[in-house]
Amino acid sequence: MSESMRAPVGQDQAEDATIRLASVSVRYRVPRERMASLKEYTIRWIQRRVQYVDFWALEEIDLAVERGEIFGVVGPNGAGKSTLLRVLATLSTPSSGSVRVAGTDPRQDPTPIRRAVGFIAHSPLLYPELTARENLRFYGDLYGVPDAAARSDALLERVELDTRRNDRVRTFSRGMRQRLAIARALLHRPRVLLLDEPHAGLDPHAVDILDGLLAEVRTDHTFVMVTHSLERGLQWATQVIVLAAGEVAYAAPVVGEGGVAQPGAVAPDEMAAACRRAMGGGPEGAC
Amino acid sequence: MARRQFLAILRKDLLTELRTRETLLAMFLFAVLALVVFHYAFDPRGTLDMTPYAGGMLWVVFLFAALLGLNRSFAQEKDEGCLDGLLASPVDRVVVFAAKACANLLFLALVQLLVVPLFTLFFVQHGYAGHAGGIALVVLLADAGIAVLGTLLATLAVNTRARDLLLPIVFLPLVVPLLVAATTATTAIIAEGAGLGAIGGRLLFLGAYDVVFLVAAYGTYDYLLGE
Repeated sequence: MSESMRAPVGQDQAEDATIRLASVSVRYRVPRERMASLKEYTIRWIQRRVQYVDFWALEEIDLAVERGEIFGVVGPNGAGKSTLLRVLATLSTPSSGSVRVAGTDPRQDPTPIRRAVGFIAHSPLLYPELTARENLRFYGDLYGVPDAAARSDALLERVELDTRRNDRVRTFSRGMRQRLAIARALLHRPRVLLLDEPHAGLDPHAVDILDGLLAEVRTDHTFVMVTHSLERGLQWATQVIVLAAGEVAYAAPVVGEGGVAQPGAVAPDEMAAACRRAMGGGPEGAC
Repeated sequence: MARRQFLAILRKDLLTELRTRETLLAMFLFAVLALVVFHYAFDPRGTLDMTPYAGGMLWVVFLFAALLGLNRSFAQEKDEGCLDGLLASPVDRVVVFAAKACANLLFLALVQLLVVPLFTLFFVQHGYAGHAGGIALVVLLADAGIAVLGTLLATLAVNTRARDLLLPIVFLPLVVPLLVAATTATTAIIAEGAGLGAIGGRLLFLGAYDVVFLVAAYGTYDYLLGE
């Protein structure tokens, strides 16, 4: 079973599973004052009283992730974690800086990146009126998966949803949807996995399923995992950055015994302190 | 590959609609109720010959019924967050547009199939079965224009907070030329028994309208569907 989860490994793929970001910034123009309603906004826009300010969702981000690495991104709400994943998934275009995912610049041609990336977003990206199997078949068609039916069944079995394969997703619990979202993200055998809070909403058994899946595919894939929890990030990551207000507050490899970068090491005090600062002193246990 | 993606998106939209029946039911009920309102507003005693005005009433009903469907065409993608899944996949944006426009066209055509007999019953005093081909051609060309323009503008509106309000505001002014051509052509056929030769100019206009907005969609859709 585990072999079927893995992407076939080749030299080309080894070179094409890297991520490079250089001085990447994402800027949005937002009204200086919050408008109570569209009507108020329209009136003030007509009166030319709306003033805009630049909001930097990400500012001068540099990072390099090699094949097989798990890159943890930790930070509070609004730190820019999801924006970073959206840039890597080609859903957002940076205002400046250069991006290369899987050896390709998304501004030149985003399609190879979209083929190479599996994205577990904050919402499961599933259609509630379709069954679990229909959802996977739909995404299988979008990605051109050659053995979509067999692959869908194998993944449904792996995430323990095979008995519910013909049930509509709207009848699923949050945890079941999240498990199906994991199957969806792995369906096309991506080389790069982007995970936005993948453990959110999962019960302990589902966490075990997810961790088992990640362990099976970790050597062949490059991961970027966003999490609120430094502990969770350190459990998996080989590098961790702490994001705060769109900037990197702290970045370091996770150093284990003998100074070798390895996952599962204890958080360095400095990193934990940076994380706490980024979180504004809380929440309890996050750092 | 593009064909497989096109069919997947179209099948997904049809399957979802088949199971929820939200869009089709709303469009059909609106169309029937509008016809009933027109009937009692213009000819409560049933003594007038409404045939000369039938084309106008028919296309007003079709247009507003189509608006209901167009408003829904991206709503589910957005509400369930599925739009990101669609955009993160290696699908050419034009394929997304083509599938969505086809789904909208099919929904409108289905509602028309159900509504036209009722419309004939209410408003047309003499048969026009002999001109069914001409009517079908006008409806096909006008429906294509409504679906193409409507899908394009529904995409524009989907990322705005007031998408339900924005779509009619931008759609209705742009669809007026199509409405005029479709109404005059339909009225000419129903009321005057005009043949294809007599309405050739209007058919050409409808075809050109479709092509213009198809080209506009092809050129701008990648940008519109982005952030």
